[in-house]
Amino acid sequence: MAARRLVLGTLSVVAFVVTWQVVLSLIRWDPFFMTTPWLIATAVREQILGGRLWHDMAVSAEAFAVGFALAIVVGIPVGLVMGWRRRAAYALDPLLSALYASPLIALAPLVIITAGVGMGARALLVFLLAVFPFVFNTYAGVRCTDQLLVSVVRSFGGTDRDLYLKVILPSVVPYVVAAARLAIGRGLIGVLVGEFYAASEGLGFAISRFGDTYRLPEMFSGILVLAVVAVGLTSVVRRLEAVVAPWRAGQR
Amino acid sequence: MRGSPYIVADGVSVTFRPANRAPVAALADFDLRVARGEFVSLVGPSGCGKSTFLNVVLGLLRADAGDVRIDGRRVDGPAPDRAMVFQEFGLLPWRTVEANVELGLELRGVASAERRRRATELIDLVGLTGFERHYPHELSGGMKQRVGLARALATNPEILLMDEPFAALDAQTRDLMQAELLRVWERSRKTVVFVTHSIEEAAYLSDRVIVLSARPGRQKAEIDVRLPRPRDYEMRLSPEFNELKLAIWNALKEELKAGA
Repeated sequence: MAARRLVLGTLSVVAFVVTWQVVLSLIRWDPFFMTTPWLIATAVREQILGGRLWHDMAVSAEAFAVGFALAIVVGIPVGLVMGWRRRAAYALDPLLSALYASPLIALAPLVIITAGVGMGARALLVFLLAVFPFVFNTYAGVRCTDQLLVSVVRSFGGTDRDLYLKVILPSVVPYVVAAARLAIGRGLIGVLVGEFYAASEGLGFAISRFGDTYRLPEMFSGILVLAVVAVGLTSVVRRLEAVVAPWRAGQR
Repeated sequence: MRGSPYIVADGVSVTFRPANRAPVAALADFDLRVARGEFVSLVGPSGCGKSTFLNVVLGLLRADAGDVRIDGRRVDGPAPDRAMVFQEFGLLPWRTVEANVELGLELRGVASAERRRRATELIDLVGLTGFERHYPHELSGGMKQRVGLARALATNPEILLMDEPFAALDAQTRDLMQAELLRVWERSRKTVVFVTHSIEEAAYLSDRVIVLSARPGRQKAEIDVRLPRPRDYEMRLSPEFNELKLAIWNALKEELKAGA
């Protein structure tokens, strides 16, 4: 079954790429508006050899890592407090929900005006987009704590502290992992848009500049790299879940 | 009842007051005496407050009126002399069998070497040796409840409170677990208060069966079980056992009508 899944999944990707290549080799097309997988592959190779790609990736990765780390460090505690203290939840829930639901990426120009064009501004954008999944998933995790387990711990004379450490925090772990998956996608959007607006390096800048200059193979190579990075990060998180929440493996 | 009372419940009343709904009287003026080392079952219609009573004895729930005394001391919270076995097991999914059995000891501040020693002993007693490193989701229902029993016994309580512990199991596993419980109990002779819906289970396990009325629960009848111990499965086929079941049934049936 696992093998069939892998084969079918690969097949659809291969079919997509081959169809793209074949169709464009049959019709006349304008390189200003279109390109082929083969030319993209060549561009990726050149950029890797030229070293430019590594540099852009490192620049984007820095802003992403800083913003994402900040989202974890802020988001989880806020979610925990909202879950533990009803008053905090009442106070914060409407405001944070509104922010989570709105397209915060619209704030990108404002963030850049206020925080400048440096790495900090882009990290701030990543943070703004990635923090909410952590807040709300952690909050949901605390609220969904099994009350029976609370009774069990209490029945053995467990204190509030025991309850937090031995029941609530472990209950929250799978929710945080799920949040990380959502936050990766949102955070990457933050980096990209930040670099579209104000940067002189980074993957987003590369994509935007190559797009502006009609160098489509190079532009697509940036997009391809991003897709690979996103898939890679997501699968790292999935692996991480197996390590930090091994009891979940049998529940799916 | 034989011997002097160890658990004494006097006029215990509990009323639940859910927000935006009418209050529900779960237990009204409930009395019970249990001797040290006695095995007492509570049977009664759904919602008659059997489980509520266990929670009062455990110290997780405060009675609105009346009180429970254990060995003369009033219950005002959980204490090491009592442990509960829960219907839905209540195992921590992120802990292995071993770590689940150690939970109570850990919360009571027992040192880790001693915890491990006790856990190993209890896991052996309930027949789970070899499963120490398994997680609850890898176990069958019967095995999960063995862990629940081992966890409760690990803290070496005087009183074992059992809240429909086998209700979530299939019929055969249930028969097996009843026999297991008797085997374990014969060795430790804890005082047991056992809540069940099953007349057969109550008759088979207990020294005494208390029948509760429909909500709010009161003591409706008390039936002494004069079957010799140790008991075995064949005993359930004897005329005496059937008479006993009939006596419990007769006390219960009007209450079931009232509750249904």
